[in-house]
Amino acid sequence: MSVVVKKRLSPQLRQPSTTRAMMVDMLVSLTPALGMAVFFFGARALTLTAVSVLSCMFFEALYRLLTRQTITVGDLSACVTGLLLALSLPASAPYWVPVMGAAFAIIVVKQFYGGLGKNFMNPALAGRMLAGTLPVLMTTWTLPLHRMSPTAADAVSAATPMSYLHEGALPPQTLDLLFLGQRGGCMGEVSSFMLLLGLGYLLLRRVISFRVPGAYLGTVAAVALFTAPKGVSPLVWAACQLMGGGLLLGAVFFATDPVTSPVTPRGQIMFGVGCGLLTMLLRSSSSYPEGVGWAILTMNCMVWLLDRMGLPRRFGVSNFTTTRAALSQIRASLSEIKFVPPKWELLHRAFGQGKAPGEAYLDQLRTLVKTLGPLAAVLLVTCGIIFTVHRYTDLDTARAEVRDQQAVLAQAMPQATVGAETPYHAAGALSIMAGYDQEGQLLGYCVAVQSQGFGGPVTMTVGVDLNGAVTGVAVTSHSETDRVGTAALTPEVLLRYVGRSGTIRTSGSNSVDTVSGATATSKAITAGVNRALNIVANLDTEEKVNYEDSQ
Amino acid sequence: MTHSFFGGVYPATRKGNTRRKPLTRLPQTPKEIVIPLIMCADGPSTPMVRPGDAVTVGQPIARRGKTGAAAHASVSGRVAAIEDRPHPWGGLSSAIVIHNDDRNELYQGRMVPLDPKQLTVELMAQRVEAAGIVGMGGGVFPAWEKLIRSAGQVDTLIVNAAECEPYVTADYRLLLERGEQIIRVSQVLARCLGCEHVVLVTEGDKLSAVEAVERRLRRLHGGRVQIMAVRTRYPLGAEKQIIQTVTGREVPPGGSPLDVKCIVFNIATVYAMHDALFQGRPLTHRAVTVTGGAVTRPRNLWVPIGTPLRHLLEACGGLREDADRTLTGGPMMGVALQSLDAPVTKDTNSLVCLTDWEHKPDTPIGVCIRCGKCVASCPMHLAPTFIRRSLEEGDLKRLAQYHLEDCNSCGCCSFICPAQIPLVELVAQARSLVRREEAGK
Repeated sequence: MSVVVKKRLSPQLRQPSTTRAMMVDMLVSLTPALGMAVFFFGARALTLTAVSVLSCMFFEALYRLLTRQTITVGDLSACVTGLLLALSLPASAPYWVPVMGAAFAIIVVKQFYGGLGKNFMNPALAGRMLAGTLPVLMTTWTLPLHRMSPTAADAVSAATPMSYLHEGALPPQTLDLLFLGQRGGCMGEVSSFMLLLGLGYLLLRRVISFRVPGAYLGTVAAVALFTAPKGVSPLVWAACQLMGGGLLLGAVFFATDPVTSPVTPRGQIMFGVGCGLLTMLLRSSSSYPEGVGWAILTMNCMVWLLDRMGLPRRFGVSNFTTTRAALSQIRASLSEIKFVPPKWELLHRAFGQGKAPGEAYLDQLRTLVKTLGPLAAVLLVTCGIIFTVHRYTDLDTARAEVRDQQAVLAQAMPQATVGAETPYHAAGALSIMAGYDQEGQLLGYCVAVQSQGFGGPVTMTVGVDLNGAVTGVAVTSHSETDRVGTAALTPEVLLRYVGRSGTIRTSGSNSVDTVSGATATSKAITAGVNRALNIVANLDTEEKVNYEDSQ
Repeated sequence: MTHSFFGGVYPATRKGNTRRKPLTRLPQTPKEIVIPLIMCADGPSTPMVRPGDAVTVGQPIARRGKTGAAAHASVSGRVAAIEDRPHPWGGLSSAIVIHNDDRNELYQGRMVPLDPKQLTVELMAQRVEAAGIVGMGGGVFPAWEKLIRSAGQVDTLIVNAAECEPYVTADYRLLLERGEQIIRVSQVLARCLGCEHVVLVTEGDKLSAVEAVERRLRRLHGGRVQIMAVRTRYPLGAEKQIIQTVTGREVPPGGSPLDVKCIVFNIATVYAMHDALFQGRPLTHRAVTVTGGAVTRPRNLWVPIGTPLRHLLEACGGLREDADRTLTGGPMMGVALQSLDAPVTKDTNSLVCLTDWEHKPDTPIGVCIRCGKCVASCPMHLAPTFIRRSLEEGDLKRLAQYHLEDCNSCGCCSFICPAQIPLVELVAQARSLVRREEAGK
């Protein structure tokens, strides 16, 4: 027997786990959830998962091949990404959804940043949230136990418990059904029991620590206890918040992704707490019922900061000393900051000596351009952006105005299809609009007038055709008493003015009877119509003429 | 006890091979004994003998010059040469080679046993220096200097029998078999140093030794001496970690145990002090565990210092399988041997011959997936993966902020890393880089 001397540096013993073994453990821990998904949603869950896993591995291999790097499919991380992506989709998703999600997750989120260990966002979650922007996916959740065959996706949609919780009500399921997973939702998230099994396995195998899921779930539970709506037991509310949505799947499998969660123990706890707070914030005050995905993605972007903040305290130096040292350092750096008044020598600089006359001035101009040029460019670009944005948003306002105008026109002059502002002015008229039919024939004018009603001014638009007859009256604003004054503003009452011409009276010939109980309002409308008729009758389209109000 | 240290790892202990084997003397002392002149942290000793001189057991053959510790012949015979021989720490070192005459004659000018009742720190330190006792747990720091400096300054004496390294059982056997002597010398040490507590620290997998020591403590009226069994976790035996576990105090950066009023001695050092003080025997023998899956009959041996490691292996029946790794000092912090001709030194507590199935095969170094296990396992509160990243980026400014000088090279980060990144080496590399940079300024 011989002694072979090999140079390996200490320690000579290594723990038996490898990165690959960790990935295998992740796959194993997700198997119960996958099994439950197949039980609830049928064989389609399995085929969807297979498509997702295979496409993740395919895109990984493809990218590495195209960029001539070593093929890293063997480390199984793409496999885990694919499984997680599939489990976070609804079972009724079309097959192209996981393929698209996998392409985005593997190529854009993972490989563009340098592959395993370099990405800053969880690839599976990013792929899932991209797929989630499709409106169909966000709203269609499959009814459990309505099993689907791999080819047919005849989903019977069901509301997730989260949509009830979002409304402040408890879901119809009892807690034990929620725990076992008989509810609508993504394939993997439905069964809390199976996810907890996976968590236990991962903890036992020391693949993940309890810091992230513990802090995450604990924060959500604590916040839920304090924000339970009235009449609901806080404990039941917290249990529903924990089990109702994708929280367990997110907390156990997405938030604990080693690559995109902090390295330091303190940072991991802060990460979990931050995820929990964000989740509860999104669940309660965003328009979506669920917020786990966005919460984790947001916190993924904060990891660099949490890592820096969570660095372990130096051995042998107490927390107090560390804090004091940090504070004094901050104070020192703050005291370094001095206000230096800017020098305006640019404009007052004396001309250089020994140069041709005018050259110094040119120099100065050049400096000026160099200094102010970028500033001007930035200003220009900013102005351009602001102008564009303003224009487009203004277009919306303009469209709204046109819509209002159309509504008024339809009421005041039903025959006309196009209304156009006219440049005419007349005393007492707020605006005068010309109404045209489809052939572009002038039909008449719509005059906006105002008269004094019972409770305040009544603004109306009166349509008058070229013969001087009323085509319609539209009341645009008033402050009459509800149900008393407004009795004179109903469409039936207003219709009585149609076809009248000349001066309308309240009694006798050519009269419109006042509505009993709303005399003042009726009179106001009659006065307004009269004024409009008067204005149109005397409208001089050739020349700007002011007419005195007849009354 | 409520204190504990942060981090740590749980390697398989694998002490079952040798834990039931009592300390035995070698059946045959080796023909040739090699006593290296470097057996102390501060440098080589000065030889006192010339080739051809006859020596007897316990005769001083080297003394402390400006540096080094006294060395004594561990067998009787004749000095053959003073020449360069392989050293277990690596490389060659000047050593006194003694040819054994197998007569084991004792040295005539022996030291007289001291009276425990009249012992003072000065007397003790003088005797410890004369006996050539250094830290036998791997530190090889001169024990007498520690004694002198700690007199009256400490309130806790920690006897380190933790033996957190896997495989090694020498300290366990010592605690089990020589517990009485260890308790007695600990009491005297505590009185001379003015300590309030003496704590024997051992790990929870050595409960039979704990039980034996407790029985002896009851019989001897232990007084200030107490035994403490701590849950097995590597690196409990590291000085700063054992102080933190026992007292909850943390040694400040760049400080010594003295700053937190503690003094730590390895159990083998304490036993050597017993021999020197109360028996008048200098340090010539020590306990060594020969173990590992490749060894035919693993056992604990009581061997003369200077015995070539090859002879130890032969005494245990040689190898039954190919040894993939041979090392001294335990598999976690131990040094891989370059040659089996290297002798047992004062700090050699084990010879471990690992077969290839016992440790993980060399898998290629992978990429860091930021799992954070190295940070969570570092007992010195460092962040090895950040150090690795800054080193790769060549960011010296940031490296200087990571407290690299705190690293005690325990190897937890390398052990735990699922990507097999040699983090201890990288940290050491970064430390030397930063030190060079600072020296350059």
